[in-house]
Amino acid sequence: MSPAARKLILPATIIALIVLTVLAAPLLPLADVRAMDIPHRFAGPSGAHWLGQDEFGRDVLARLIWGGQASLFIAVGSALAAAVIGAALGLLGGYFRGVVELLTVRAAEIILCLPPLLLALLVVTILGAGTWPLILALTILYTPNYARVVYAATQQVRGLDFVTAQRAMGTHPLTILVRTILPNVMPPLLVQMSLVIASAMVIESGLSFLGLGVVPPTPSWGLMIRAARSAMEVAPMLLVWPSLALAGTILAFNLLCDRLQSALDPRSITAGGALWLRPRARRATAAAMAAAAADKAPLLEIGELSVAVRELELVRRVSLTVRPGETLALVGESGSGKTLTGLAMTGLLPDALHVTGGKALYARRDGGRIDLAALDEDGIRRLRGDEISMVFQDAAAALNPVLRIGDQVAEAIRAHHALDAATLQNRVVDLLRHVGIPDPERRARAYPHELSGGQRQRAMIAVAIANNPRLLIADEPTTALDPTIQAQILQLFAQLKRDTPEMGMIFVTHDLAVVAEIADRVAVMYAGEVVEEGPVSEIFARPHHPYTAALIASVPEGGSERLVAIPGAVPSPHAMPQGCRFAPRCAHAEARCGESVPEIARPAADRITRCFRWEEVA
Amino acid sequence: MLRYIALRSLVALFLVWVVVTIVFLLLHLIPGDPAELLLSQGSIAADPQAVAALREKMGLNAPLWQQYLSHMAGVLSGDLGASFRDGAPVVDQIALRLPRTFEVILGAALIATGLGVPLGTWAAIRADGKADAVISFFASAALSTPVFVVGSVVILLFAQQLRWLPAGGFVPFSEDPVEHLKLLLLPAGTVGLALLAVITRMSRASVLEVLQRDYVRTARAKGLRRGTILRRHVVRNALIPVLTVLGLEMGTLIGGTVLVEFVFNWPGLSGYLVSAVDARDYPEVVGIVMTISILFVFLNLVVDVINALLDPRISLETS
Amino acid sequence: MTTRLNRRSFLATTSIAATSLAFLGPRALRAQEGGVLRFALSTYPPSFDAWASSGTAAGTIKLMMHRGLVSYGPDGLMRGELAESWEVSEDGSWTFKLRDATWHDGSPVTAEDIAWNVTEAQKPDSAAYLQGQLASITSVETPDAKTVVMKTAEPQATLPGWFAHYNMPMIKKGEARDTTIGSGPFKLEKTDRGVSLTLTAYDGYYKEGLPRLARVEAIVYADENLRVAALEAGDVDLIEYVPWQAMNQIEGNDALKLDTVDGPFMYLTFNGSKPPFNNPLVRRAVAHAVKREDIVAAAFYDRGGALEHLPIADKSEFFNAEYANAWNYDPDKAKALLAEAGYPDGFDCTMLSTAQYGMHQSTAEVCQAYLSMIGINVKLDLPEWSTRVKKGNEGQYDLAIMGTTAANNDPDGLSNQVDGSLPDSFVRSFQLPTPEISELFAKGRAIFDLEERRAIYKELEKVAIETAPMVGLAWRSQGYAMKKSVEGFTNLPGQLTFYSGITLEEAMFG
Repeated sequence: MSPAARKLILPATIIALIVLTVLAAPLLPLADVRAMDIPHRFAGPSGAHWLGQDEFGRDVLARLIWGGQASLFIAVGSALAAAVIGAALGLLGGYFRGVVELLTVRAAEIILCLPPLLLALLVVTILGAGTWPLILALTILYTPNYARVVYAATQQVRGLDFVTAQRAMGTHPLTILVRTILPNVMPPLLVQMSLVIASAMVIESGLSFLGLGVVPPTPSWGLMIRAARSAMEVAPMLLVWPSLALAGTILAFNLLCDRLQSALDPRSITAGGALWLRPRARRATAAAMAAAAADKAPLLEIGELSVAVRELELVRRVSLTVRPGETLALVGESGSGKTLTGLAMTGLLPDALHVTGGKALYARRDGGRIDLAALDEDGIRRLRGDEISMVFQDAAAALNPVLRIGDQVAEAIRAHHALDAATLQNRVVDLLRHVGIPDPERRARAYPHELSGGQRQRAMIAVAIANNPRLLIADEPTTALDPTIQAQILQLFAQLKRDTPEMGMIFVTHDLAVVAEIADRVAVMYAGEVVEEGPVSEIFARPHHPYTAALIASVPEGGSERLVAIPGAVPSPHAMPQGCRFAPRCAHAEARCGESVPEIARPAADRITRCFRWEEVA
Repeated sequence: MLRYIALRSLVALFLVWVVVTIVFLLLHLIPGDPAELLLSQGSIAADPQAVAALREKMGLNAPLWQQYLSHMAGVLSGDLGASFRDGAPVVDQIALRLPRTFEVILGAALIATGLGVPLGTWAAIRADGKADAVISFFASAALSTPVFVVGSVVILLFAQQLRWLPAGGFVPFSEDPVEHLKLLLLPAGTVGLALLAVITRMSRASVLEVLQRDYVRTARAKGLRRGTILRRHVVRNALIPVLTVLGLEMGTLIGGTVLVEFVFNWPGLSGYLVSAVDARDYPEVVGIVMTISILFVFLNLVVDVINALLDPRISLETS
Repeated sequence: MTTRLNRRSFLATTSIAATSLAFLGPRALRAQEGGVLRFALSTYPPSFDAWASSGTAAGTIKLMMHRGLVSYGPDGLMRGELAESWEVSEDGSWTFKLRDATWHDGSPVTAEDIAWNVTEAQKPDSAAYLQGQLASITSVETPDAKTVVMKTAEPQATLPGWFAHYNMPMIKKGEARDTTIGSGPFKLEKTDRGVSLTLTAYDGYYKEGLPRLARVEAIVYADENLRVAALEAGDVDLIEYVPWQAMNQIEGNDALKLDTVDGPFMYLTFNGSKPPFNNPLVRRAVAHAVKREDIVAAAFYDRGGALEHLPIADKSEFFNAEYANAWNYDPDKAKALLAEAGYPDGFDCTMLSTAQYGMHQSTAEVCQAYLSMIGINVKLDLPEWSTRVKKGNEGQYDLAIMGTTAANNDPDGLSNQVDGSLPDSFVRSFQLPTPEISELFAKGRAIFDLEERRAIYKELEKVAIETAPMVGLAWRSQGYAMKKSVEGFTNLPGQLTFYSGITLEEAMFG
């Protein structure tokens, strides 16, 4: 059971209890809800009447429970009826579009223009007050909501491959709708339903309050509130009980709705908020180290770095070194931990992930050395964007859609340098020109969506190099781009390397062709570990790890296609093999590979590999 | 942009026409005869002859389609007719009542956004923490307590016990601005409380969503301060869906403040609608419904335009 | 109690200060008494039509703007207004002598004006509340500018009462029926429809020294709870329709006082066009089935009294003590009557009432509970008021709850509720002929001698008790509440409570 599903238990239990109680009303030893005892009106709680007696001397507890039945019946009944009708309209409209859409969804939306109260007023005055007219009124009221939600969901699902495939095979549209699309639009439908039930209960109470709802002596919460309000001064508790019951039930439904939403729609799992936003959220040990280093010391020295989510290690004891002016490529399949390693260097790991061990010594511009893995949020923020910066994979998502490009570049500079407006503006335009954006003055005023994919990535790079960083981490900067644009962006990186010879670069990619073009050294990662590392030319010429060999072998002639040819898949972090992590997919594997973890071997001074049989791999 | 607005306005007018027609027809379906009611006030039976004469005078004896056509002709020339009750022009009455309803809604919206956005943002930052739990609980509680209960309690508290504010009623702003605003405070606050709950929940969800966006990570990667990131990148983007919801909620409120108007004796449009329906004052009902639906559809249009202004990605031509 | 200086009291004090400088005679004296009274109405007058019935709130406003020929004073006795004196001749014609009075535009009130009012309102399509009664006036003569003579086909003992009614005020000849030009103590200065009305003192009012107030602000508070809250919070000085649940609380408040009378009453009407209620035995069974005290307790918080006969007050000279408990609560008798009527096991039926007014709904709920005890299963139909009126007029019910006042304290005022020969109306039973009773009403109207009339109405009540064309349920207390400082405003006795607006001319702040 997922944590999100587990969270459903509480509201679901409360609602189940409420529903069971009101359903069991006929079985419970309750007083007659209609039996008046006028001499004892407004009597307080007693043994016979636990919550006291109302303005006619009737038992409040019994009326509360029976009243819940009326209120819930109306709310659930109308929510269900509206769900069925609205879903049907939404499905038809969303699937067929055109005229059908006009006749279903758009027609239903007319109802939204009518004041809800007028609608209820008209229905009730035409049909008379009572439970069924109320259900009808609420059903009409909520149908467009469902129709809209289902319509939107249907449109999304409609475009998916498997639906297109079924259509192509000539499956009857109704069959597709019921068998394929309906199950897929269920999540938003369910969420909408819990929302509507809560809202219907509020409206039911309001209408009963206005005398347009349930007909006495049948109790309902709204009626009870109406009656109690006029006697508020005489017997305030009479107002408290039904209000509490109503608010409590609605609260439970709201809670259910919220949790259902996160359980059914994994995309919206947003729990946890943002730890970085909370002051003093990280360890406050600003463990900066002053150990002065020699000139030729590495720019970044990662030692035995591990990253974990709870007990699960996603990156395990990774050691890497980047020297000034050097480009290190991190290569591996998805899930190999290469991106996490990059993020850990900038303190941008997702909230659930933590550095659990190791260090990352970085040589600052002023010569001091500092452990990036031990810095708190504020400490690393000062370095980010200034000394260490990052280029992300999907520039379209990584740029703020509502800010102009120029402003986004400018704020990166302003975060670390106080410049006057004009100088800042010039610097921004220079940067944009530097990264090859044509007509930079005008483009600075453009919004991200007005630029092409390649230009967006160039803008992203402009942001990253705005403060002449010493270390640039590029996380698959070309993956989302067309091949021709990829080449241009790679040329831009190559040019940046030439222009700033002191800048070190970590280039995260899964594309060996890119590695060959841009990197000096390469580290191959597999399942969270570095399995081989060394100079690009040597490793490509003579790999010492079966995985590296398989990677190289899988690259098609002259192409830059994705890695596809290695049989099997990267093991999930839940089920790591005991011995060598690559053993299950390895052509060279033998008994010991499955039993014990291979130690690091050094085939040459500047190379490492993590394989028992590296000598046999060629 | 202008072409888009013109096109949308046409569709909106069509919608309004449909709504008005539906209401016109429904009104003639409901039991209750305006002439008879008018003559039956104060528990006195109306004389059938007098009723017939009044019906003739009101034009209620003409076939329905004739009544409909003559009413629509009036509407097209800007005349919504006169009240059955006292012959007052419906347009004047709406012009009098509508600003009062707007006042309550705008006051509520101010309270709701002014408090709801910061609260929702705070709850999102502290998601799953204690502050979040407290804020979310009160938001849900405010949302689930009927306005007439809230209204009764605040009157008891602020007017009868503490005596800080008048219990309810209305004084024109031109007569006594201070008293006017004091009277506005309770109804606007009561509506605002429910709206505040909606805005808080929406802001929380929206901020949480935006926090997961890549561009927030980019902003962090730039080394921006927390406050800057929140202001420029998180809240600004999170506000777009919140404003949409606010706009839609305000649209619903134009005809939906009846309970608050009743409890606080605020003479707005909703209470006017209810009394018009009660009296079967057809010209008034149709006029009010028309006003409300026009405002509703145009408010939706305005929300879309504002969204387009806030979010440069939305191009009105293509949507 | 804190002495909070609100806007009203501020204005009141300033107006006193401003005018006390000119202490120069009766005019100035009146102004000194001045002050602004804030009066919380229960609803906004739906129209100002002088002769039509537009509810009690409209009645109150009309009693401030207009005057009739005669009126009821604070003691409930008839007194002259525009008519200084009136008398009936041997042949039954009534002569009214007018006093010197002026309309709000300054012109004098003449006999011609009065005659015009009568002839206009008696027209068959006038929709005047008293059109039916006025139609029996065969001629109106004006021998001189100050004398009006009305002749009727049959002698009409109750004729002056018609001209005391707030729905028969006099307006200036030729004016529109909803004119605000009257001859009363206050002029309607300003209205905010649905919200408030401002009335200012008319300085040409014919009663010297009146009105005492400079202005009355009538503000609509539709919600009864808010009306009370507004009075307690000091927003208003006087409220009408005090909700019964709040009466104790107001009496317990040192700054406020409560003025109540038992006048209006609740009763049951029947659908006489079909079984089972076309059977008098069934109607009588119902009359004995309901415990009235419980209605008084549940609907009126014990503010009122049981009504087990025709609604003739015990203080009335027409009260018949032997019938006081004629319809007493006696479930065994009720069951026996039902069995006698052929319904030993009871039956199902619908009861019409309204959810719009709490007292109507509560009364219906109590009746429902008691009727179920004798086997009558009642299904409540509680539409809003408009629909309830419509259904009542069309007979879409089996039995119905009503609440009202009689036209005045004379038993003839009950004809509207009891006389089955009148047209179908929601205020009386539907198509339930009462030949004997109708005849007795006609007889009572034509006779002037008190003792003879008492005998006639005693006979009438006897028949009514036996045939139960309607069943009395409860007297209800009708209350006005005001600040202690408000003086001169009086709740008129009995059925006249809704005429109380007339005493606003004497109201002042003490």
